[in-house]
Amino acid sequence: MDEMEQVIRIFPQKLRALLRQADTRRFQAEELRLRVGQPLLMTAHGAEWYLEESGMQWRQWEDVEEHTEGRMEGKLSEDMTGKQRMDTGRRSCYQVTAADIRDTLEYMSRYSLYAFDEELRQGFLTIPGGHRIGVAGQIVVEGKRVKTIQNVSFLNVRVARQIPGCADPVLPWIYSDGNICSALIISPPKCGKTTLLRDLIRQVSNGCQYIKGVTVGVVDERSELGACCQGRPQNDLGIRTDVLDGCPKAEGIMMLIRSMAPQVVAVDEIGSQEDLEAIRYGKNCGCKLLATVHGCSLEDIRRKPVLREFAEEGVFERFIILENRGRPGQVKAVFDEEGRQLSDGNVD
Amino acid sequence: MKWMGACLVTLGCTGLGQYMARQWKLRLRWLEQLRQMIYFLKGEILYGHTALGDALERVGERCQKAEGDRGLMGLPLFFLSVAERIRRQEGEGFSDIWKEELSHLRENPLKEEDIAGLKCLGDHLGYLDLNMQERNLLLYLEQLDGQIEYLRMHLKERTKLYTSLGVMGGLFLTVAML
Repeated sequence: MDEMEQVIRIFPQKLRALLRQADTRRFQAEELRLRVGQPLLMTAHGAEWYLEESGMQWRQWEDVEEHTEGRMEGKLSEDMTGKQRMDTGRRSCYQVTAADIRDTLEYMSRYSLYAFDEELRQGFLTIPGGHRIGVAGQIVVEGKRVKTIQNVSFLNVRVARQIPGCADPVLPWIYSDGNICSALIISPPKCGKTTLLRDLIRQVSNGCQYIKGVTVGVVDERSELGACCQGRPQNDLGIRTDVLDGCPKAEGIMMLIRSMAPQVVAVDEIGSQEDLEAIRYGKNCGCKLLATVHGCSLEDIRRKPVLREFAEEGVFERFIILENRGRPGQVKAVFDEEGRQLSDGNVD
Repeated sequence: MKWMGACLVTLGCTGLGQYMARQWKLRLRWLEQLRQMIYFLKGEILYGHTALGDALERVGERCQKAEGDRGLMGLPLFFLSVAERIRRQEGEGFSDIWKEELSHLRENPLKEEDIAGLKCLGDHLGYLDLNMQERNLLLYLEQLDGQIEYLRMHLKERTKLYTSLGVMGGLFLTVAML
């Protein structure tokens, strides 16, 4: 089953039929967005698409105004604003209903929202295949803590893809004298940091032209790296990889080091003080680290209080900056621990 | 010929009485098994935070193995078929899957009230948080306990009653027809 089929299967029958009818599988979709009363939007091939009301096909969003102007010719008053035009344009879009979102949430959780309490509290849940569903709506607060989200009205379905080989351009930079260096992947959202980290883990674990394979421990808090199903990774993370699925990062790093003796520890989206402590512990135990963090540049990281300590302590020997130049996973630059640029954006 | 007919009527009525007594015992066994399965399900959901499909599959498999080849297979198979339907992800509601599979539960000694209770459980499973799952399951277990207690309390008297009514009814019919 390909990624799009996995994603289509989380929708209720009505939406599923529309998505199939519109041949959604032929798109390399990055995300699908559902908002109550708004058009069903898809980001694919660097553009935004909307589903026609009939569900027959996806149309590029830029077409809406032209399409509307053409369709409504003679009816639009001259002073009609752009926004009004767009609203009129939505008449030909499929509009997501509250029932669509409610049913989708039920199916994607496999009728077991209770099993995703903790994830929902964080605003997302991960479905088989490692696809992450962002959730927003009305927050229920207990004390000062988010208890859950009710009346969910917005969903963002992010399609996860394995791209074997996407870490190839980075590999030469993360090895030094035949040893792997601790590396931090810095990237804005939607630039492919998780995809890159996944492939790095696979290549480091299996071994590549630069070094033979080593034992890798992965703390997969959001089940995005391994996409584990009943504890077994569905994504290829290499032959020497142990995965702690759904485990908080800080605790997981400690557990892995004590129990599985990894040579490399990999985690996605670090940032808290606890993460720092755990990573420091890992470093002191002689482990190398592969991690990702949100940011746009090395300066960005140096401005953040917790991450600044990472940079100053030299926990990481390599900083890989990503950007989205048409397609995700593009390396903008690679820096060493002293901030010297080792490579520019032409590494690939 | 007359005597042969009389024998057949008596035997038939005795058999019917025994069948009724056996159904009583079987219903008790089914409900006891169901109670055990619901306890397992509660454990899977509350302690393992397992999703419904996986929980039903594990409980179904466990009980299927425990019963062996000649045990009561209806309920474990029912759980397994619901789990399979969830796994297939065909976009139906859980309650619809549960009810549809329940309607396929043939040759069972359960009464209408037992089936209605099970249907009602399916309507609420998966709704809201863990706390709600626990309450739903406990509520259902309470109902089951009541039914099991009633069946157990009247087991001896009912089996005796059905068996002797069968024999006596057979004899009465025979005498009446002779």
